[in-house]
Amino acid sequence: MTRRLVVGVDIGNSTTEASVAAVSGDSAEYLGTALTHTTGVKGTPENTDGAVSAVRRALERAGRTESEVETVLLNEATPVISGLAMETISETIITESTMIGHNPATPGGEGLGVGTTVAIDALAGASGPTIAVVGAGWDFDDVATELNAATERGLEVVAAVLAHDDAVLVVNRLRVPIPVVDEVGAVEKVPLGMRAAVEVAPPGRTIRTLSDSYGLASVFELDPDQTKQVSPVARALTGNRSAVVVRTPSGDVTDRRIPVGTLTLTGAGKTLQVDVDAGAEAIMEVLGRVQPLDDATGEAGTHVGGMLAQVRDTMTDVTGQPAAEIRIRDVLAVDTFVPKEVRGGLAGEVAPENAVALAAMVRTSRSRMQVVADEVAAALGCRAEIGGVEGEMAVRGALTTPGTAVPIAVLDLGGGSTDAALLDRDGVSSAVHVAGAGELVTKLIGSELALDDREQAEAVKRYPLAKVESFFHVRHEDGTVQFFPEPLPSHVFARVVTMTPEGPAPVATRHSVDHVRRVRREAKRKVFAVNAVRALKQVAPGGSLRMLDFVVLLGGSALDFEIPDLIADALAGFGVVCGIGNVHGSEGPRNAVATGLVDAHVAGS
Amino acid sequence: MTEKPAIVLRHTGSPDPVVLREVCAGAEEEGVPTRVEQVRDADVLALAHAAALESPLETGIGIDGAGGVAVHHASLPQDDPVHQVEAGSPRPDLRIAGRTAARIVKVLPL
Repeated sequence: MTRRLVVGVDIGNSTTEASVAAVSGDSAEYLGTALTHTTGVKGTPENTDGAVSAVRRALERAGRTESEVETVLLNEATPVISGLAMETISETIITESTMIGHNPATPGGEGLGVGTTVAIDALAGASGPTIAVVGAGWDFDDVATELNAATERGLEVVAAVLAHDDAVLVVNRLRVPIPVVDEVGAVEKVPLGMRAAVEVAPPGRTIRTLSDSYGLASVFELDPDQTKQVSPVARALTGNRSAVVVRTPSGDVTDRRIPVGTLTLTGAGKTLQVDVDAGAEAIMEVLGRVQPLDDATGEAGTHVGGMLAQVRDTMTDVTGQPAAEIRIRDVLAVDTFVPKEVRGGLAGEVAPENAVALAAMVRTSRSRMQVVADEVAAALGCRAEIGGVEGEMAVRGALTTPGTAVPIAVLDLGGGSTDAALLDRDGVSSAVHVAGAGELVTKLIGSELALDDREQAEAVKRYPLAKVESFFHVRHEDGTVQFFPEPLPSHVFARVVTMTPEGPAPVATRHSVDHVRRVRREAKRKVFAVNAVRALKQVAPGGSLRMLDFVVLLGGSALDFEIPDLIADALAGFGVVCGIGNVHGSEGPRNAVATGLVDAHVAGS
Repeated sequence: MTEKPAIVLRHTGSPDPVVLREVCAGAEEEGVPTRVEQVRDADVLALAHAAALESPLETGIGIDGAGGVAVHHASLPQDDPVHQVEAGSPRPDLRIAGRTAARIVKVLPL
């Protein structure tokens, strides 16, 4: 019997996979696989380059040549395009420079000093309890000399505020130690001649007086109405080791809600509107009332409107359909927070602001995969055809995982969307795509940790964390310690790092390993655990997860070191067997569609 | 051992007072003591490494005759210092050298 070479190719949102098989009669022997980045937007002719290079690499690994290939099989991709947007919905503003709460690493002295703010070069004319304000350009020795001289003259200097990182140096040179807050970049904006308080807590402690409403009331002799007014200042300073509060006529710290536009959701014969600043829960609740979603639009002139319009435009490019005909079929809203510099701050204070992240998804029935097939055929000099629909092929590939049986559901954890497909006992299959997947996780991690670099956020998502504890050892996030025979580079010393295959890579954050880990796991849970349940409910008989027996996880994120566990946890209550796909008992969660295409081809011929 | 824990700073005699002051200030602001020693002429890496071997905190600083600064740890090979500042660098860079030495001791990001 002749053996024919058949290659299955799965073009996904971010990766293109190819699987080479030698087919004789009704059996297929798998020879090699390959993975490349998808070129262009999924479902467009630009995919050809990626598909061809995936096929060539797979052939190389299999030790075969192009001339031996008889047929290339492509998936009929459901064009699913996702877009992401992030909207900050709260803002902290300090007015009249009423407080400084930036938490410098090394403040000086200890205790509380209450007095009037006076510039250091005007101490000669000051009287009563005084807080010295020291601008940039002052050397620590000169500052100490001035303060000692003033004290000698009988002036009661109770505290100081410095521009440079000099607090410890100054305090070490004072005859009478006082609390000193340093690294106040915009020290020239500190209002002078005002009553103020400076507090520095001992190492390992946080301030007690300025972070307490009645503490502030006692310090500044406030009446009940004024106390109400300053309570946000106390709240803003909670947890700090040092702080400065200046009592100005109408100084305040406010937490403002930013209106960011409304989202209009249409479906189930209803059209409902929801304010994006109402938060993720409110948006998802309204979305639940209009299921299945027919379309979503954002208020024109707002970021939400802009994002949804952009998703529509991309889809127009892909399908050639006019933008007016493109419908947004799913939205995932996630509550998050973004560290933002406080407006009106003097020392670059940062406050965690509330934000809503949105993933939106569009699908159409039209794809241009036939064009890709024709171009692949021309490039490789063989036949190329569309072998089957993605979801069905994925189920077929997943079914080759040892230990599975129909009815079987697959969850394909991709980059842009989370897809579910079901094959029931009667051989009927159904599939859904929901918005939000790996890219949204990366975005949430990046914004919550304020990482400028997308690569770093991606590394935090993909690799476990560790803390470099010396030049020769790291402590992994689970507490185990690893020794390195060669010294670790000094740019990772004492840092939180991701353990990448190339070695420890620093994460630009002041947060602890525990905090970064919590952010990472929460981002994955908020996207994948939530979407797993959302997607499976849409394919499960009667919408009940209890009716599912086997759930197989596929796609790049199924290889993640913790996402499968998070999903298994989310599904544990429903009596479902959930695990990572292992196509043909050896391929893992990759190549399910490519393999399914070949299997379907063999079964059909 | 009666030796007090300190970062050891070695120079080869008559160092630029500004360099010495700023480097020491960097460590002092972080709250870590330094001990200054004068030794015979050597290159800046050798000075820093020998200082680190001498330091009860295994951390040393070398300042050479020209005013170049190196920060070293006793566990590292001599030709692989933690940090180096060229001669003639501005004050903040010198301050950072002292701070870096202190942060090695405190195991804080450099």
